[in-house]
Amino acid sequence: MKRMISIAFALSLASALPGVAQAQSANAVAIDSNVMVERTTTDTAGRSQTMLEEPRVVVPGDKLVFVLNYRNNGVRPATDFVVTNPLPQAVAFDGTSDADTSVSVDGGRNWGQLATLTIRNADGTNRPARAEDVTHIRWAFQQPIPAGRAGRLMFRGVVR
Amino acid sequence: MTSFSAPFSARQTLLATSALFVFTALPTIAHAAGTRAGTVISNTASATFDNGGGSTTVNSNTNTLTVDELIEIDVDWSDTADVVTTPGATSQPLKFQVTNNGNGVETYGLATVSTIGGDNYDPSVTQIVIDDGDGIYEPGQDIIYVPGSNDPVLNPDQSITVFVLSTTPGGLADGDRGGVQLTATSKTGTGAPGTSFAGAGEGGGNAVLGTSGGDDSDNGFYIVSSANVSIAKSASVLDPFGGTGVVPGSTVTYTLVATTTGSGNLPNLVITDAIPTGTTYVAGSITLGGTAQSDANDADAGRFGSGIVTVNLGTVAGGQTRTITFKATVN
Repeated sequence: MKRMISIAFALSLASALPGVAQAQSANAVAIDSNVMVERTTTDTAGRSQTMLEEPRVVVPGDKLVFVLNYRNNGVRPATDFVVTNPLPQAVAFDGTSDADTSVSVDGGRNWGQLATLTIRNADGTNRPARAEDVTHIRWAFQQPIPAGRAGRLMFRGVVR
Repeated sequence: MTSFSAPFSARQTLLATSALFVFTALPTIAHAAGTRAGTVISNTASATFDNGGGSTTVNSNTNTLTVDELIEIDVDWSDTADVVTTPGATSQPLKFQVTNNGNGVETYGLATVSTIGGDNYDPSVTQIVIDDGDGIYEPGQDIIYVPGSNDPVLNPDQSITVFVLSTTPGGLADGDRGGVQLTATSKTGTGAPGTSFAGAGEGGGNAVLGTSGGDDSDNGFYIVSSANVSIAKSASVLDPFGGTGVVPGSTVTYTLVATTTGSGNLPNLVITDAIPTGTTYVAGSITLGGTAQSDANDADAGRFGSGIVTVNLGTVAGGQTRTITFKATVN
């Protein structure tokens, strides 16, 4: 019962999002974070269906989808628009399909595509970085965000 | 945060739909125990931009998730091969590993079943013993398990060795196999994977059953190693005239061939044979494998006394033969 209530509570958060954006309208650009968990259910006929929930509780192995909504509430375009999301320590990065992303595996000091990054081993040698090494993800927009424009960024993670 | 504002009717609908996945969601488990139960995951993003007034940074709201306890237990028989036992043997240990693959501290009950089927006999389990940490069964040093009294409490990723001690029934044939199943059961509960126990998790969150459903079992096996002996007796007669007639004065040579079979050993195998009535034992005539034996009760294998020939063969493995001869004269 507790669990059901927590889901209902979390989903109600989503319905209240415009209010959050309003509250932050003092800033020209507002950004809002949502986390959902991807759960696959199988009905009595054996058909499986993947659903996104917005829970407050998860278990190791749960697949998370992080959704960031942004909006330029100002009257002027926002240039040099960069969104940064440090990954919670208990979450392993599981990829993104967004354009203009780069990641860091060293706490935000160096950035690049995952394939170009390396991790220094204890013995001084380097190895290619893996998704679970990612500490930060960043979106750097090439074009200004026009006034009134909103958008959505997404990436995936897995509870370690 | 401004979040309790959902209309009552909308919340009712959400409750109805959320009930669908509570009972069907199957958590997937990573290899290791994973993030400790009770850990709070917080996510905050930030945006920097310039809309004419210089670079500005804003933070998003913070999402907070709590990691629930995932109950995941593994029981694994860890002897490298069937444990060799003998009919009637007691306190023969089978070795199991019990591992908490979940992410929270969990208490487990242990139980055995020996009527598992698919084997030749049912070992009689006498004790479950929890190892003191060295992986070797040491009577008196390892701890005897008492259900409900010293149920093992395992941290995430912690593994303990559990010994199951059994008595092997008598009268079993060589090569008979007997199995015992050890089950470890979470004290929080069992059920279909995905079942949630509200408030029962470490740190006060929920406890969710993983793929093991809150309990796990494995079978361990004994194999009986025994041996049998059969004895063939023959006699040859030499009469005083060089013939084979049984007349007074004829000498009878008795030959006993003891043949052992099976994969086990026959400890302290002793062959005895009484001298037939109407004959007299020929002193010093016992041989074992062609080697003469003294009649005295001394270091060698043979002796004679009270009209009985006794040969002590010691421990004899299966698949061997021992040949004994002795002589008697017809009165």
